[in-house]
Amino acid sequence: MNVDFVHKWKSQVKKGTLAFIALNVLKDHEYYGYELIEQIKKNTQIEIAEGTLYPLMNRLKKENLVTSKWVEQASGIPRKYYVLTPTGEETLLQMRTFWLDLEKSIKKISK
Amino acid sequence: MKAIQFTNKTAQKIYADYISRIKRTTATLNKTDREEILMELNSHIYEGMMHKTPSSEIESLVDVTEQLGAPEEILKPLIAQKKLEQATRSFNPKHIFKALVLNISSSVVYVFFALLYLTLFGFVFAIIEKIKNPEYVGLFFKNGNFHLLGTRNPANSEELGLTEVLGNWFIPVMILCIIVLYMVITLLLRLKRKK
Repeated sequence: MNVDFVHKWKSQVKKGTLAFIALNVLKDHEYYGYELIEQIKKNTQIEIAEGTLYPLMNRLKKENLVTSKWVEQASGIPRKYYVLTPTGEETLLQMRTFWLDLEKSIKKISK
Repeated sequence: MKAIQFTNKTAQKIYADYISRIKRTTATLNKTDREEILMELNSHIYEGMMHKTPSSEIESLVDVTEQLGAPEEILKPLIAQKKLEQATRSFNPKHIFKALVLNISSSVVYVFFALLYLTLFGFVFAIIEKIKNPEYVGLFFKNGNFHLLGTRNPANSEELGLTEVLGNWFIPVMILCIIVLYMVITLLLRLKRKK
């Protein structure tokens, strides 16, 4: 087995699906950055470089898939919560359809 | 931004150092973006500290910042994104230059844009030459058709049948060309970003 190739391929797949994963986690929930990362880690066992999430969230915001709001905390250090927009919800559904089709195709060819 | 207070002096120092690295990395952005990024990462550190199983402050802090990553690394794509938004909004050459440098690594297309902007210097060069050698530089036509934009020896101009058509309008026209091209390229850059 080519360990190096598999390793690179895995990290490419992770990078390519992180937006999809984040949108899925945000479906029906709103989370602040740290919590969102924890949720992703818990649900997917993916060890993401935590800092990479913030540029991604900025992109999703720019694309109007999520919005964010600052919520004051007793500690005086507010949390920035992310929420899916209606466009984000629709986009996620499209992505899920594509993902399921892809999964089917891969199952078919990897028998 | 409200700073996090640590009881341990060393932890406080490590924290202050990390925050100042964020500030340094985001220095080229506008104030709102800088504040936003700083507050969000500060919140991440705070929440991270709260969620860690109780150990020493230093250990938790180092853990949290290590997992978050070096500010210079993690903020690179974010700053490149923000800078490009800012540059195409403001038409400010300083922002455009910085945005191109930041984005060159992410796409060859931006190298192409950098080259387009570089062509503008050709016109600047023509203006400088015109000031130095007014007789030599101009827009030359031959038999009513465009022949050359540049330098020609006036001595053999006539021989070749060249006429300079802009005269004293040469510099204003060149400046106008620079402005129009600059706007067109920047609008193209904006279109590229929106795609």
